[in-house]
Amino acid sequence: MAEKDRIDLEWKMLDRAVARLRAGVMAVVFGLSAACALFGATVWLLIKGSENIGPHLNLLGNFFPGYKVTWPGAFIGFAYAFVSGAVIAWGIAWIYNFVVHFRLKKRANRKNFLPGGK
Amino acid sequence: MNSQPEKGELCVIIGAGPAGLTAAYELARLGMRSVVLEKDFCVGGISRTINHSGYRCDIGGHRFFTKVHFIRELWEELMGEDFLLRPRLSRIYYKNRFFDYPLRIRNTLKGLGLVESFLMGLSYIRARLRPEREEKTFEQWVSNRFGRRLFRTFFKSYTEKVWGMSCSEISADWARQRIKNLDFIAAARNALVGAKTHGNKLVTSLIEQFHYPRLGSGMMWERLQEKLAEKQIETRLNQEVIKVHHAGGRVTAVTARDGQGREIRIRGEYFISSMPLRDLINAMDPQPPRDVGNAADSLCYRDFITVMLVVDTPAIFPDNWIYVHSPEVKVGRIQNFKNWSSEMVPDPSKTSLGLEYFAQEGDELWNMSDDRLIDLARSEWTRLGFATVGKVIDGTVIRMPKAYPVYDSKHKDSLEVVRNWIGTLKNLYPVGRNGQHRYNNMDHSMASAICAARAVHGAKIDIWDVGVEKAYLEEAEAEGEVEREKMITAKVIRDTFANYDALAMGTALGLMAAIVLFLMSIILILKGGDPIGPTLLLLSNYFPGFRMTLIGIVIGTLQAGGWAFFFGLLLAHSINLVIGIIKNMLLRQIEIVRTMEDGD
Repeated sequence: MAEKDRIDLEWKMLDRAVARLRAGVMAVVFGLSAACALFGATVWLLIKGSENIGPHLNLLGNFFPGYKVTWPGAFIGFAYAFVSGAVIAWGIAWIYNFVVHFRLKKRANRKNFLPGGK
Repeated sequence: MNSQPEKGELCVIIGAGPAGLTAAYELARLGMRSVVLEKDFCVGGISRTINHSGYRCDIGGHRFFTKVHFIRELWEELMGEDFLLRPRLSRIYYKNRFFDYPLRIRNTLKGLGLVESFLMGLSYIRARLRPEREEKTFEQWVSNRFGRRLFRTFFKSYTEKVWGMSCSEISADWARQRIKNLDFIAAARNALVGAKTHGNKLVTSLIEQFHYPRLGSGMMWERLQEKLAEKQIETRLNQEVIKVHHAGGRVTAVTARDGQGREIRIRGEYFISSMPLRDLINAMDPQPPRDVGNAADSLCYRDFITVMLVVDTPAIFPDNWIYVHSPEVKVGRIQNFKNWSSEMVPDPSKTSLGLEYFAQEGDELWNMSDDRLIDLARSEWTRLGFATVGKVIDGTVIRMPKAYPVYDSKHKDSLEVVRNWIGTLKNLYPVGRNGQHRYNNMDHSMASAICAARAVHGAKIDIWDVGVEKAYLEEAEAEGEVEREKMITAKVIRDTFANYDALAMGTALGLMAAIVLFLMSIILILKGGDPIGPTLLLLSNYFPGFRMTLIGIVIGTLQAGGWAFFFGLLLAHSINLVIGIIKNMLLRQIEIVRTMEDGD
């Protein structure tokens, strides 16, 4: 391929490039972030201490069975938050990539049907 | 097109510049005979080195760097220990100040001062917000991209010096053409990955250092001439080709005239020409059709004068050369030959400079006597404020006609007509900068010559399609690793500058938000209580109608999904905007460098 054609092609590819999300990376990052956040928030309330510790944070127990604002609860919460964060992030990335893939495929098909399109 | 030639068949090569000599060398390597005809008294063409009382002077600056292994190896083989590795420094001289070249933001701002920099910034913003609708001229093209003030400072005067016409007369196509083939991936790779961490040493050398023969660029071609002589290949100097005879779709012979006016006819089987296309067509016997002649006559060239001054001082400035943008003087560039190689001057207490003027054969500057040109150079040297550094004690003038093929608005069409007609002569191969009317560097010229020699030998190569087309050269495989590395970095850069699909991002966030809220609500309903999920119900402040009933949940999740969808759209567009700004900033920097690289 001639140098000029190569450069033209690279420009086209650069203009058309659509970013993908890395589901695995996002899952780990979001999972860890959520886990650390919940663990930190729980531990913070435990260290501060009071008669009725963390009434609002305790409500998470509705969704994370076994979670309470206690020391064992902090670790249980860590695990739940990690899984939830990871699943949500992975879901977002998967849906995003799926839609991108679908749209690009549709674009490519449309182009192939155009006269002279390739 | 060509059958495998017999060993005794002679190839006549017109011109002993880098292209002509390289063609002869390659033919010899392939076992073919050739003879080289050069109209001048020395070899090297525009890359020759003139010796004036021991002071050596190049015609322009010739850095030796190439991506083509074969050519790099040839240079190294020819020069051996005499091939120096030199640091590169070149700056712009404007209003008695030096600016880094390529331009660097901090240095430029410092040099221009706060007020000018601010005004330049305003001018840039204005150009971006209200660009001129028409982009027919170089001036409009540059102003729209960089602002009128930056155009006036760094583009106008130098471009007008190089091409000898107003920027408002130069077609915007010329600027577009220079940017069109911009290898953004390669440039971005250099800018982002950086020279130090990048495995390809070549990239570093282009920017910071280059190879150079110990006694000037001409030393390379003198060596090549000697090598050819060892192989019994004759280089005949002072032989101007005045006629190219052709019949039956083949060139049959050329007529050359020597310094005494004697004419000699040389027959050959193949002809490789590096003479200017315009002259080649005009030398045709019989003459080609009128439209071809007219097309050839419309090909224009820019000519070049170097005034060498010897200054009685050991050092002046550290640069290899400086670009002189100051409009009050005619000089366009100043070479400091001693900084190319210390052996360019015989006496270390002296410095030799090449003050370069871009001219047109026959114009006032071109017709000036040598003495007047030396006086002009001396006075401009003083005017630029350098007179205090040392006294000018000697000087000489070198005129180089047709140094640059001009890319004017007509050249493309004219070249097409000429090319098509030359294509009817099956054994004629135009090569080199003027031979192909192409703004070639040395290595490109040599690559075209190598390809022509291989075509003569029977390879199927379209020599007009040769840049440094690796597929045609032996080192294609050796460069495979570099190519693979390039592909990988190209992918990384594509990923870096890839845009996010806003619709996909909106859909992903919207769907996920809706699913999460729906699941949370369902869990609370299943758990029961009175009231159910009072804390989660606080969301009804933002999602009217959200209740812990099936309909309420659907209403709430739809709203949550909708808001998250818009948030996703906004997020993707914001990221894309930032990526676009970074990409454009990088692009502008590259465009500035590309557009200012004329006359190299």
